[in-house]
Amino acid sequence: MILELDNLSKSYGGTQALRGLTLQIEAGSVYGLLGPNGSGKTTTLGLALGVLQASGGAVRWFGQPLSSQSKRRVGALLETPNFFPYLSARQNLLLAADVKHADPASVDTALALVNLKDRQHDAFRSFSLGMKQRLALASTLLGNPEVLVLDEPTNGLDPQGIAEVRELIQRLAAEGKTIIIASHLLDEIEKVCTHVAVLQRGELRVAGPVSSILAATDRVAVRVAPDVPPAALLQALSQLAWVSDVKAEPAGTISAVLAPGHSPADLNRALFAQGIILAGLELRHRTLEAQFLELTK
Amino acid sequence: MLRAELRKILPYRTVWFILLLYAALLALFVSVGSGVVINGQPVGNTLYAFPELWHKLSYVASYFNLLLGILLIILITDEFQFRTFRQQVIDGSSVAALVQGKLAVSALLAAFGVLTVLAVGLFFGLTRSPASAGQAGQQLGAVLLYGAQALGYLALAALLAFLLRKSGPAILAFMLYAWVVEPLSRLLVPDEIDRYFPTKVFSALTPTPGQELLDTVTGPSSALLPTQALPLALAYAALFWLLSYLLLRNRDL
Repeated sequence: MILELDNLSKSYGGTQALRGLTLQIEAGSVYGLLGPNGSGKTTTLGLALGVLQASGGAVRWFGQPLSSQSKRRVGALLETPNFFPYLSARQNLLLAADVKHADPASVDTALALVNLKDRQHDAFRSFSLGMKQRLALASTLLGNPEVLVLDEPTNGLDPQGIAEVRELIQRLAAEGKTIIIASHLLDEIEKVCTHVAVLQRGELRVAGPVSSILAATDRVAVRVAPDVPPAALLQALSQLAWVSDVKAEPAGTISAVLAPGHSPADLNRALFAQGIILAGLELRHRTLEAQFLELTK
Repeated sequence: MLRAELRKILPYRTVWFILLLYAALLALFVSVGSGVVINGQPVGNTLYAFPELWHKLSYVASYFNLLLGILLIILITDEFQFRTFRQQVIDGSSVAALVQGKLAVSALLAAFGVLTVLAVGLFFGLTRSPASAGQAGQQLGAVLLYGAQALGYLALAALLAFLLRKSGPAILAFMLYAWVVEPLSRLLVPDEIDRYFPTKVFSALTPTPGQELLDTVTGPSSALLPTQALPLALAYAALFWLLSYLLLRNRDL
């Protein structure tokens, strides 16, 4: 287990920012932390990284309590890129490499990876938001950590930058790194994450593999040829105990939800057995966005 | 750790500006000192005679500790403002290491103060009172006591910076405490007690030159002797750094 959060709580004065969060993150997963603004994502990461003092609960990295050694196995970007504005990009990374006990030579690799080699001698304060964000990403990669913690990693990036970061995350995940991403950009999470946890007002709503969270509510849409009466299809569907939430849609299409363990092929086979030939069959993945809105309603 | 601190400080123009200002103001004060008229007579070059020069210079330099303190406050509050303390903790520093880094910086600043006093003293002493050059190596302890005093003021500045996190309020609090709060509170407290107050202890390390003469007029001063003040000053400095550590450890970054 890479990271275990056990009944973690945090309050700021009278405000309870996080209530008894328990979460396990396994090695090799790309774990998305989702939630609206103020749901406790950054608070969770701040507690996990040791910059906030928990009101209760425990954090364990690699099965051990948080320590300087465990932190050096993690590269993290929390909220904003934090650098000395008067130092150049390169000077800032050399400093970070010192703190992380990373090889100073890795600074060049990191700068090249985020395309900042040409601007490495410019002061951090002269950078655009996107460049600052890229520098922060470069800093997380120093010392080749096993785990990356990225809080809103695509903040301030243009569409091309977002695509580059997504590609970088997928490449790093393919190398076997565990990646923890907090974001409110559902599209991002859906594209790169294997697991997701949804937070709302400091509480965990749901956690698990993206596929299982999304699959439970996938809909199947079916269409019959014009010469088959729609009533016959409805009648046939009502015979199947594992089909629920049958809805008529425009243009003679009918959609329904299949119980777990049943595939669109099962549906096709069952309908064919009842003499109904389908003209169209479509599995509609429910978007994470729809699922998220439903969960945080 | 020191390397990381040097990476932050060396390219920072503000640091060089304040250090140069410290050296320039000290040299300026010392160079115009001979023009001061006492009893109708300019003090003249007797001011620069070794070894008394070291006591006078340490006393003058004690007024410039304020600049070193302000510089340290800027260096500490910058890290809160830039959120770099936070990032360094994320990257693997312990809170103790952050405080030790700033302690090392304070030692560097105090060493800079001591070296500047030595350089200014040697320059003016050797050029304006060459006859006393043979005694230049005597009573250098006065300069070391000044170094201890600088460490004390810097520890106080660091504590206020860690407490208030913003440069403006911390600098204001530093000056108010040293010049207003403690002097006023000393008025309300008996002399036997107030001589143990922090800035009173620190200033006892560099007594006013000719204090013995003044004492014969005004009665004995209640201040501690420098040798008595030294262990207390170092204890205060250690206490302020310990409090800084506890503050940082128990707060969110």
